[in-house]
Amino acid sequence: MASRIKLLALVSLLALVGGGVAAYKNVVLGIPLIVDERPSEWLVEAKVSFVAVGDPVTARLALPGVAIDRELGIDARSAGYSFIVEDTLDEYAALWASDSKEGPQSLYYRVRFPQRGVDSGGPRLEPGDVPVPGDPGLSGTLRSAAESVVRRAKELSSNPDTLLAGVFREITAIEGSQEIALLKRHYEEVSNSDALTLLGIDLLNMAGVPARQAYAVQLNEIRGSQKPSLFVEYFDGVYWKVRDPDQPASTLDPRELFVWNRGGDALLEVSGGENSQVAFTTTRDIIPMEKLTDLKDSGLLVSTIFGLPASERQVFRYVVLIPIGAFVVVILRNLIGIATLGTFMPVLLALALLEMDLKSGLTMFVVIVASGLWFRFLLSRLNLLVVPRVAACVVIVTLLMMLLSVVSWHLGMRDGLKITLFPMIILAWTIERMSLIWEEEGKRNALLQVAGSLVVAVIAYLFMELKQIRYWAFYFPELLLVLLAGIILVGRYTGYRLSELIRFKNFEEAV
Amino acid sequence: MKRWWHRYFRTPGELEAMGVVGINMRNARFVLPNNPRRLYDLVDNKIRTKLLAERQGISVPETFGVVRSPKEIRRLDRILGERDSFVVKPARGSGGKGILVISGRDEDRYIKPSGSVVSPDEVRFHLQNIIAGLFSLGGKRDVALIEDRVKPAKVMTELSFQGAPDVRVVIFRGYPVMAMLRASTRESDGRSNLHQGALGIGVDIATGRTVHAIHHGRPVTVHPDLKVPLIGVQLPEWDRILEIAVTCQQMTGLGYLGVDMMIDEERGPIMIEVNARPGLAIQLANGVGLLKRLVPTDARARQIPDEELREKIRFSRNTFAARMQEV
Repeated sequence: MASRIKLLALVSLLALVGGGVAAYKNVVLGIPLIVDERPSEWLVEAKVSFVAVGDPVTARLALPGVAIDRELGIDARSAGYSFIVEDTLDEYAALWASDSKEGPQSLYYRVRFPQRGVDSGGPRLEPGDVPVPGDPGLSGTLRSAAESVVRRAKELSSNPDTLLAGVFREITAIEGSQEIALLKRHYEEVSNSDALTLLGIDLLNMAGVPARQAYAVQLNEIRGSQKPSLFVEYFDGVYWKVRDPDQPASTLDPRELFVWNRGGDALLEVSGGENSQVAFTTTRDIIPMEKLTDLKDSGLLVSTIFGLPASERQVFRYVVLIPIGAFVVVILRNLIGIATLGTFMPVLLALALLEMDLKSGLTMFVVIVASGLWFRFLLSRLNLLVVPRVAACVVIVTLLMMLLSVVSWHLGMRDGLKITLFPMIILAWTIERMSLIWEEEGKRNALLQVAGSLVVAVIAYLFMELKQIRYWAFYFPELLLVLLAGIILVGRYTGYRLSELIRFKNFEEAV
Repeated sequence: MKRWWHRYFRTPGELEAMGVVGINMRNARFVLPNNPRRLYDLVDNKIRTKLLAERQGISVPETFGVVRSPKEIRRLDRILGERDSFVVKPARGSGGKGILVISGRDEDRYIKPSGSVVSPDEVRFHLQNIIAGLFSLGGKRDVALIEDRVKPAKVMTELSFQGAPDVRVVIFRGYPVMAMLRASTRESDGRSNLHQGALGIGVDIATGRTVHAIHHGRPVTVHPDLKVPLIGVQLPEWDRILEIAVTCQQMTGLGYLGVDMMIDEERGPIMIEVNARPGLAIQLANGVGLLKRLVPTDARARQIPDEELREKIRFSRNTFAARMQEV
């Protein structure tokens, strides 16, 4: 009983590890489980547009730090401009420059990241000295109004996080106080749409919490082209954090928002142009598997076909399929009970069949084995020793194969040419063993075993040919652990084989 | 009760009720746990088995010579001398492969029991094949054994078309559990392989009398070629046969094995070989599921460990007597 528990533990461990890694690759890395599903990623494109007036032009677009740090897929298209990425104290910016331009201009910058998003608004350490809150430079009644709002908010909060929430609750309250109404009017003179957020940032600074502007993009395909939303970045004593002023109490959801620019720099600065603006489009982009950014970053890259140089992949394609064939053999032998010539000969035969199509593969096999058998009987008259006899058989099999290839090519069947992978040595041994069984156990048994091997090979081939199974083998090789668990379970099956139900059909208890 | 599907198959439930053991069960429950790998060579190598058996006082076919390398094939004439009947077999052959039986001589040439003629060159070629490992497990190099051909007792030859039947006794944990005779037919061409149409004849453990017979899995009562009755034939020296079988178990240490014997006219029962993975056809031949005997045997062996050899035989004869089945 104890061994049974150990076995079950081992089997479930294997299944868990294999299934777990596969699930991780599916959920976190975004590799689809179903063969025809294509992986997709977010593609955020910033389009800078302005009208150049004929002077030298420079355009400076602040960039998402996470994108540079994590080497997410980035590209910039900017014909006629020189382009560099500027790096100052962990803040990045794209700089386009040109001697002289005239008329409407468009510059693009793209960032790619996985479908589940990146934590672009998460806590970040201050790279320089501890920041000091700035002074908004209000005076007179504005200043005293602001100070009383700050005082009220501070009384109700215990730390920068709750203070932020409190400040924005004050500002956005429908029945706002006199002070807020006064301040609002002042800020609306500066900027109409973002007045409340700018006010909140200034109030936070007055309350002693360093705060600054940040810009975020909604990850939403339906919105089309969008203006960046102004967010608040504040310092909680240890980290810089970004919050949405509309939802000041909750952290950002990376699946819905991408913070493009933090650090307080202006989002876009253009000189030599007028009417400059930046617009963003977010799209879900279907991309080839090997370009999946998270997969490239992950250590699990080694667990897919992409872990290999391209030249080795072709071989790997077949290697990962061999266990599938072995599993089919296990099922057919131990559960069904089909007798084969040599345990794993059918797997090799199935591999050969993968190279050609089924019909020409089987024809080839039958022709070669039949004529090889005939030569083998001729050879046996020469009383050769075993190894030279098999070697002679290999030579004959090779010649037969060349002959078949040439003949089939002349008949217009191009598949004949692809048979180089046909396992010649295996065929020679098959012929040798078959002739032995022929002599020792009669031709009926010999033919039965060859037929059994062919049936097993064809079934194994059909499995290995399935698109879904190949896909799993290439991209989720860890599922082989689950297969291993299955093989171990079959290894402990002590019930009847299907063939035995027929073998014992006449069983009668003696009376 | 006969059901319509019995023409085609039996359900697993029906087989289980009859105690039929399948290959998977034989391997997992009886062969693997009871036969440690290291003991296999004792029985896979017939030279070692014979040596062991001789030390225990068991009769085995007299060894004329052993050919270990292609060079030694030259010694064939010296080994054979004037003998005109002998058997050439691989020491590590499996399933009766590679056995050449010569029953007579016609001047320079040898005659097989079937009447066909073999030249000395063909015998030498056969020896080469054996040494090259053609018949051994995994194709390893092997050694050829040349030994005396058993002269079978008349009771036995009467049951067989050419040659003589061999007796197999299956032993589990030292207790004889089941026995059968394998007799050749015209169809099986002198071989005792049931797949090729040989007869399987069940033998009562208690008395040594044949009780049941099958041909191609179906019950029969007379020999298809010789038309002699197959049921109720008394095997000679049954006591000795059981004794040899149980002694073979003791000397090899295997927990589950089949002992193959032939009965010589003068020397009585002779041990031919021991098999560590005996087949399942013996159940069909007896019309009894092996499990019905293996389970009580296992219980007995647990209850009384290291029982005396004679006691083991007595237990089996009492418990597994064919008459008991009739009740």
